[in-house]
Amino acid sequence: MKGTFVYSRVILSGVDGQNCMKQHSNLVLCVDDERIGLEVRKILLERAGYRVLTASDGPTGLAVFSAEPVEAVVLDYSMPGMHGGEIATQMRQIKPEVPILLLSAYIGLAPEVTSLVDLYMTKGEGAPVLLEKLGILLQPVS
Amino acid sequence: MNLSQFNNILRQVFVLPVVALLVVAGALYFQIRGSNETVNLIQESDARISQATLLSKLVVDEESGLRGYETTGDTRFLQPFYEAESHLQTEIQNLDNLAGADADQKHDIADLRDEHQTWQDAFALPVIATVRGGGQTNDVDLNLHGKVLMDNVRHDLDDIIQKAEASRTRRIARWHRQVHSLLLVLLALALGMGVLIGLFTRSRLHAVSAAYRGSLDILSRRAEELYQSEQQLRTTLESIGDGVITCDAEGRIQMMNPVASELTGWSQPEAGGHQLEDVFRIVDETTREPVETPVAKVMRLDKIVGMANHHTILLRKDGTELDISDSGAPIRDKSGNTIGIVLVFRDITMERKTQEALIANEKLAVAGRLAATIAHEIHNPLDSVTNLIYLMRNGATPEESVRFMDMAQQELTRVTQISRAMLGLYRESKAPVVVDLKETLEEILLLMERRLHDLGVTVSTDMPEPVEVSAFPAELRQVFTNLVTNAAEAAGPGGEIKISITPQTAGIDGSGQKLQAGATVTIADNGPGIPEDVQPHLFQPFFTTKGENGTGLGLWVSRGIINKHGGTICVTSDTGDTDHGTKVGVFLATNPTINAGGGD
Repeated sequence: MKGTFVYSRVILSGVDGQNCMKQHSNLVLCVDDERIGLEVRKILLERAGYRVLTASDGPTGLAVFSAEPVEAVVLDYSMPGMHGGEIATQMRQIKPEVPILLLSAYIGLAPEVTSLVDLYMTKGEGAPVLLEKLGILLQPVS
Repeated sequence: MNLSQFNNILRQVFVLPVVALLVVAGALYFQIRGSNETVNLIQESDARISQATLLSKLVVDEESGLRGYETTGDTRFLQPFYEAESHLQTEIQNLDNLAGADADQKHDIADLRDEHQTWQDAFALPVIATVRGGGQTNDVDLNLHGKVLMDNVRHDLDDIIQKAEASRTRRIARWHRQVHSLLLVLLALALGMGVLIGLFTRSRLHAVSAAYRGSLDILSRRAEELYQSEQQLRTTLESIGDGVITCDAEGRIQMMNPVASELTGWSQPEAGGHQLEDVFRIVDETTREPVETPVAKVMRLDKIVGMANHHTILLRKDGTELDISDSGAPIRDKSGNTIGIVLVFRDITMERKTQEALIANEKLAVAGRLAATIAHEIHNPLDSVTNLIYLMRNGATPEESVRFMDMAQQELTRVTQISRAMLGLYRESKAPVVVDLKETLEEILLLMERRLHDLGVTVSTDMPEPVEVSAFPAELRQVFTNLVTNAAEAAGPGGEIKISITPQTAGIDGSGQKLQAGATVTIADNGPGIPEDVQPHLFQPFFTTKGENGTGLGLWVSRGIINKHGGTICVTSDTGDTDHGTKVGVFLATNPTINAGGGD
């Protein structure tokens, strides 16, 4: 029943996005090598009232993460060169307090990867789930 | 001890007595020569005595003749006197000439000659002259004088004879001593040589007998070893897991081990002496035609026929059947003639089933890996599309909607492609169909794009035009997916893979080999290459260089599939510093003869 409650809250915040943006403009970093997927996610999160930074690979993501006052990270798992688990490990070393939401196209990630992050979800579960989980991560701050 | 040493000893044992006896003979010769000389001297003394005796007789003759004449005045009595006188000088000279005289004896002879001359001149000749003149000669003084003179002569002669006899006695004594010493020497030599020969022969015989004992030892040890090795062989044959049958050169069964009895259903006593073909009846798996036994093949080719699965079935005595693989090898004697043949065979029914299970297992492993890839490939576009729909549903401007729909369309196109490629991979067909290799490879690369991207590998292709071959598409996809995966994992981040298709027209190549029409797909990577010691194992099942991440079945199954397609697969690799990498070539014929059994 808690899920239903949060779901409606997110829907509401999505509906009057303009107000929300002014109220809590948390800075979120999205890392994904999928061009279209990243672009769509950015638009989606901006509509939901977040300020969004993007990076298309691990090293860029880590550089932005260090330089900007990022408040949450939405991280893709499968990327060339450096996968999400490695990036999460390094982010934890830089700013351990920043929550990380791991996205994966694979079903059933290994526990040693999922234990590194605050929350994780499978891609394709839909925008409401993404916004809900991001909301949970940022709740203590807002 | 070898034969030449033994002959040497024989020679020594023969030569030594001969040499020893020669030495003895030499010593005896010197001894005998010494006594011979003594005998000569004795004879000489004898000659001297008889010569002196002859002289005495002549002197007596002379004196008697003179006395007769003196008495009678008849000159006929003088004849013996003259005769004796005429001989006397010669005989005295003869005595003087006899060898071995010492100075004393020479002096005696000279005396004799003088005394006789004196008697002749001072008595005999004057008496003769007186008688002839008619005078008297019976005067006592005259005759006494004659007698004194004659006594001197006789005395000389007696001296000579006495001395000769004394000398003869000495010489005989010497000869006795010599003979005695000869006997002693003979005895000593005989004893010495006997002991020498005895000792020598004994030592030689010791050597021979030691060698003989050594040979006996060696022989008994060899016999023991032979027995042990025979036992080992027998136990090995009985414990071995394969069926073993030995035949003579004519192919009659001599021996079979328990496994062979069990597999054929014939016991050793039943089968012994039978022709192999009666006991080991094998037919082709598909045609059911009798197959040449390895023994017949060995007899025909006169060389080893290796263990192989020729898809043969063994018909057992009770009519049941077994899948077997078999091999044969000739048994040769020292000069290389075939004196028998060994047949080794095994039941591979379980092996075949295991192989089939492994092939299915590998297919599942490939499917599993692909499923993960596909999930990824579908979830990414799906995520974008659901997000886009959410955005449009929650109030987007018409311009935004158009843009969002375009983006959604792009992502859906990608899903469609993936889905098509995936369906192609799992579409099983009963008969070979025409497959475009270019299309197949492009689809596989599309499916693997993500994986290759993740690995940081770039792929370049050289596939100028469609190339069609008759094949089972799903199986070819399995092979190429496998090979591209291997290449990508070998190349590693930053590596490159080159995929090319080279069509081949039918013809004859440089070495006269007939070439089929078809194409070779080459997949080359620039990874570190495969070390030479690893290369022979590449196509073995369960051989993997990927540790936990590999099944070790990929190349083994791939080769099975390619062999089934009547094609060939070969791996060339270079681990050099500058020009390293691995190249896998797969030849597929345009219209191949499909081996239903799957090859190997």
